[in-house]
Amino acid sequence: MTDKKQKKGVKIFCDITKCLGCKACELACAVEHSKAKELALSIKEKPTPKKRRKVSGVEDKIMSFGCQHCEEAPCVAACMSSAMYKDPVTGETKHDKDKCVGCWMCIMVCPFSAIIQDVTDKVAMKCDLCPDNEDYACVAACPTNALFSGTPEEFKRRVEEKSSPAALKRTKIKSGV
Amino acid sequence: MRYCIIGGSAAGTSACEMIRGIDKKADITLITDEKFALYSRCLLSYLLAGSINEDKLKFKEKDFFERNKIEALLGVRVEKIDSKKRELGLSNKKKVTFDRLLIATGARPKEMGIPGEDKKGVFALRTIEDARGILNRSNKGVKRVAILGGGLIGMRDAYALGHKGFDIKVIVKSGQILSQMMEKEGAEIIEAHIKKFGVDVMKGLAATEILGKDEVSGIILDNGNKLDCELVIVGKGVAPNIELAKDIGLATKEGIIADDYLAASQDGIWTAGDVCEAKDLVTGEKTVNALWPCAVEQGRVAALNMAGKKTKYEGSQSMNSLDLFGLSTISIGVTKPKGAGYEILTSKTENSYKRLVIKGDILWGMTLVGKVENAGVYGILIRNKINISDYKKILLRDDFNYAKILPLIKKEAQKFCKPEFQDILLTY
Ligand SMILES: Cc1cc2nc3c(=O)[nH]c(=O)nc-3n(C[C@H](O)[C@H](O)[C@H](O)COP(=O)(O)OP(=O)(O)OC[C@H]3O[C@@H](n4cnc5c(N)ncnc54)[C@H](O)[C@@H]3O)c2cc1C
Ligand code: SF4
Ligand code: SF4
Repeated sequence: MTDKKQKKGVKIFCDITKCLGCKACELACAVEHSKAKELALSIKEKPTPKKRRKVSGVEDKIMSFGCQHCEEAPCVAACMSSAMYKDPVTGETKHDKDKCVGCWMCIMVCPFSAIIQDVTDKVAMKCDLCPDNEDYACVAACPTNALFSGTPEEFKRRVEEKSSPAALKRTKIKSGV
Repeated sequence: MRYCIIGGSAAGTSACEMIRGIDKKADITLITDEKFALYSRCLLSYLLAGSINEDKLKFKEKDFFERNKIEALLGVRVEKIDSKKRELGLSNKKKVTFDRLLIATGARPKEMGIPGEDKKGVFALRTIEDARGILNRSNKGVKRVAILGGGLIGMRDAYALGHKGFDIKVIVKSGQILSQMMEKEGAEIIEAHIKKFGVDVMKGLAATEILGKDEVSGIILDNGNKLDCELVIVGKGVAPNIELAKDIGLATKEGIIADDYLAASQDGIWTAGDVCEAKDLVTGEKTVNALWPCAVEQGRVAALNMAGKKTKYEGSQSMNSLDLFGLSTISIGVTKPKGAGYEILTSKTENSYKRLVIKGDILWGMTLVGKVENAGVYGILIRNKINISDYKKILLRDDFNYAKILPLIKKEAQKFCKPEFQDILLTY
C-alpha cells in the first residue's frame, strides 16, 4: 500500500467540462476489478467483471461518476449488517462483502447511483478506490485528465485555478480562439 | 448526569454511542430484556434462509458496551417508570435512577387473536429466540408452511423458508401482497415471480383457527376450507411497545408522540425508533416509520438533545427494500396516494416496473421492481421536494441515473447542502 492511499478524504472527481464520454474509466474500472486485472483475459471471465463507475449524459454534457465517499454517508447509516462502514483513518466508505446480505437498503438511500448489484454473489458493489493498485485505475485511464483523485479542497483549487483569468487566457491561446 | 436507555437495539445503541461521544463522564445505563445483545433484527430472515450464521447477526463489536463504558443490563425488563422519583423499576426487583431517559422499546408482532395461536409451531419473527424456534421446528419434519399475512415480514419469511425448499402458502386478506408498500400492479409482478419458487399466495382469505392437538397440524380459512401445515408464521405487522409510556401519561397515539427534537411529552424523556411517532418528511404528519435506518438516526438525534446539543429531527422517510428470489423491489414515499390531484406515471419492460406518484410537479413517491439501482436518486427528489415538471419523461426512462438530474440539483442547489453535491456542481 502506498502512502498516497493513506491520505484522508481522497476521492475521485470528474471535471465535467473535460469529459468526452469515451468510457475509458468504465473499462479500466471493470478490468481493475476482474480476476486477471488485464483486459484481454478479463473479458472472458464469467461472470463478466463489473464496473463501478458510470458515464452518462447530463443534458448536452457528459460526466463520469461513482461513489462520493460521503462524509455523512447515507449508505453507512442505512446498512443493517454494518457491511458498509467508514474507514477511521482515510474516511473512505468501505464495503465488507462477507457481511453484506444484499438487502439493497444502501441502494435505497445512495443519492449518486453509486452502488451496483452483484447479482451473482448477491452483494452490493461500489468504488473501493482500487486497494490493489498504486494508482486509481479510472484516473490513470482518463485521456483528458477529466478525472482527478484528491481531497475536495484539492479539487476545488484545481477548478479555481483553471477558471482564473490567467488560465482561461492560456486555454484560449492553446485552442487558437 | 445519569442517562438511562430502555431498549438495546438500533435506536438504543446508537443513542448510547452518541451520548458517550459527547459526554465522556456521564453514567449511561442501558436496559434491555433480550439476553442476546447487539444483533440486527433485519438479518433474522437471512438467518432463517441459511445465508448467514448467528455470528453475522451482530451489528456492533463484542466489546461495544465496555468500550463505550455503558452499564448494560441484559435480560432485564423495565416494568415501571416513576417519573417523579426519576426511577425505573426492573424485573430483577432492582431500581435504577435517571436524570434523562430514552424510551426505545421498539415494537412487537401483532397477534391474530384467533383460537389455537398458542400451539407449538406457531411463530412470529421478531427476535433471535423466534428465529431459533422456527429453525428448530423446521428441522423436525416440516414440509408445509402457512404464512399469515403478506406484508414485508411475511414475504421475507416466505422467501427464507421457500429458499430452503418448503412448500409455502401465504394467506392474505386483501387482494394483493405488500399492500402497505405498493400498488397492485407491482405486487402482481412479485407474486408471479415468487410462485416460480414454490411460494403460493392465496388472496382474499384469512385464517380463523389454528388446528392441532399440542402442535400445529393445519389452519381453517374463512371460506371454510382446511389447509394442512406443520408450521405457521404470523406476519400481521407490528405494534409499538408503548405501555410503559402510557402508564405515566405520556402522549401516545400509535407510538409515543415525539416533538421536533424527539422529546416525549414530559420533561427529561425522549423517544426513538419503532416506538416513536415523529415527523414524516414527505407528508409532514407524525408517523411511525418502523425502519432500521430511522431508528439509528432517531437514536442519534435524541441523544444529541439529551446531552444538551439541541438538534432538530429532520423527519423520517417512509421507504422499503425487498429482495425475493433475485427480484428486487424498492419503494419510497407515498406509493398509494389517497385523494385527488395525483398523477401516476408507469413504465414496464420485460424485467422491470416503475411507478411514479407526482403531485403539482413534485415527486411524492415511487416504486421500482426489478431494476432498482437508482432508487436513492428518486429518493432525494422526493425528500427535497424538487420541481420535476420538465423531467417526468426522463424520470421514467430506463437509463435514468444521478447524472440526469444534475440540472435540477443545480437549479435548487440551496437544498443540497452536503458537500458531495456541491463538489459535483463545481464544474457544471
Ligand atoms: C425479520 C425482520 C426484518 C426486518 N427487515 C428490515 C429491513 O430490511 N429494513 C429495515 O429498515 N427494517 C427492517 N426491520 C425493522 C427493524 O428491525 C426495526 O425498525 C428496528 O429493529 C427498530 O429498532 P428499535 O431499536 O426501535 O426497536 P427494536 O429493534 O424493536 O428493539 C427494542 C428492544 O427493546 C426491548 N424492550 C422493549 N420493552 C422493554 C422493556 N420494558 N424493558 C426492557 N427492554 C424492553 C425489546 O425486547 C427490544 O430488544 C425488520 C424487522 C424484522 C423483525
Ligand atoms: S455509496 Fe453512495 S451514499 Fe455511500 S458513500 Fe458512496 S456515494 Fe455516498
Ligand atoms: S446490500 Fe449489503 S451493504 Fe447494502 S445495506 Fe444491505 S447489507 Fe449493507
